[in-house]
Amino acid sequence: MRADASFAVPVKLWALLCVFAGVTIGGNVLLTCILTGGALLYLVLQRNFRLAASYGCFYLLLALLLYGIRFHGLHMPVFSEFYVLMFWNLSPIFLVSWDLITTPPGMLSAFLSRLRMPTPFILGLLVVFRFFPTMRTELKGVGRSMKNRGLTAAGQLLAHPVQSMEYVLVPFLLRVLQLADQLSVSAVARGAERPGVRGSYYEKKAGTRDYIAAAACAIVTASYLVLERSMA
Amino acid sequence: MKETNKWSVRDVITTVLLSAVLIVIQIVVNMVCMANDFVSMVLSVGITMFLCAPVYMLMVSRIGKRFVTLIYMTILGVIFLLMGNWFLLPYYVLVGILCEAILWKEGSCQKPKRLTAAWTVASLLYNGVNLLPIWFFWDTYYDFALASGMEQSYIDSYVRYYTSPGWLAFILLFTTLMGFLGCMVGSRLIRRHFQKAGVL
Repeated sequence: MRADASFAVPVKLWALLCVFAGVTIGGNVLLTCILTGGALLYLVLQRNFRLAASYGCFYLLLALLLYGIRFHGLHMPVFSEFYVLMFWNLSPIFLVSWDLITTPPGMLSAFLSRLRMPTPFILGLLVVFRFFPTMRTELKGVGRSMKNRGLTAAGQLLAHPVQSMEYVLVPFLLRVLQLADQLSVSAVARGAERPGVRGSYYEKKAGTRDYIAAAACAIVTASYLVLERSMA
Repeated sequence: MKETNKWSVRDVITTVLLSAVLIVIQIVVNMVCMANDFVSMVLSVGITMFLCAPVYMLMVSRIGKRFVTLIYMTILGVIFLLMGNWFLLPYYVLVGILCEAILWKEGSCQKPKRLTAAWTVASLLYNGVNLLPIWFFWDTYYDFALASGMEQSYIDSYVRYYTSPGWLAFILLFTTLMGFLGCMVGSRLIRRHFQKAGVL
């Protein structure tokens, strides 16, 4: 099962710290492919094959675009060169942080609670982590409703931009408020307001495999930095 | 039941969710506007403030307690800090404190005029994201811009727009006006939809 193959939360945080340090300290944007390769391997080891495969394809596309920009003067009207390079550079951070974000909330909150983090901070962090997957689903729902009513035609959107904005914004925000209510009821029912350390059925203690993964993260980042410095 | 100023779990979750919505809108508008230097430098902040105004008004009036704006501005500052612009964190905290001062009076969060004033001031001061680097942190910004792959032509046009007094006055006026108009639209949407739906 994927949950069993998943690393412990401290390892995930350590991995994020490593790639963040690597991308921030290192100056060679192109060489960050070493960190991205390491991040993809990190996902594969946790059996997150779907994310590894889909992001791998996206990364290949970025590589092609970068090649086009560097050697053939490719210029795109919407997705500027700056963003291609930014996505390329930040890919390892995206991958490792997405893995952290999709960690079961119970595991995260149990770990943070053990660190004596204040409850509002834990709640806020968990909400931010669940934000992107949830909002994607909600926006898809709003889009489908608009399509059913024939409101997504290009002519309609261009002729009535403010109205179209209202059609998207109002149901979306209403849904966000409903979600906030549901999440808070769920959090209170699970003891969010209870003082003391929270536990979780899914909390994992770090084992040998986790220590090896943490060491590997440090080694990959250090190798990237050494290589990058030697090429400077 | 007596209303207290103590934050509940629901307040924390609503603030974080709607702050995340606001930040995503800002990032998406910024990304789309980067297609053209003029739109990116001159219009994008105004468009952002216009689109974010209804969400901001909804967030503050829904929670109805102090420090909502300060928390949102702090989260925004932390995002900029993570992106390498450390100086924007203290700046946005200051903007948040200023907005809180406007909304400090009891019941201000339910008054559209106060909310409009707070967001209009925030819109004007949001330009700090572009002005602070030129005024105080040029070396830091320039190194960051080059390291993150920005083209020299982009940096040049940025300097041109933000150092010419005429363009600067236009940008500041446009952004403030768009923030104000966004609040007008926001008040209307709140009256027409959210109050009727009973979520406020």
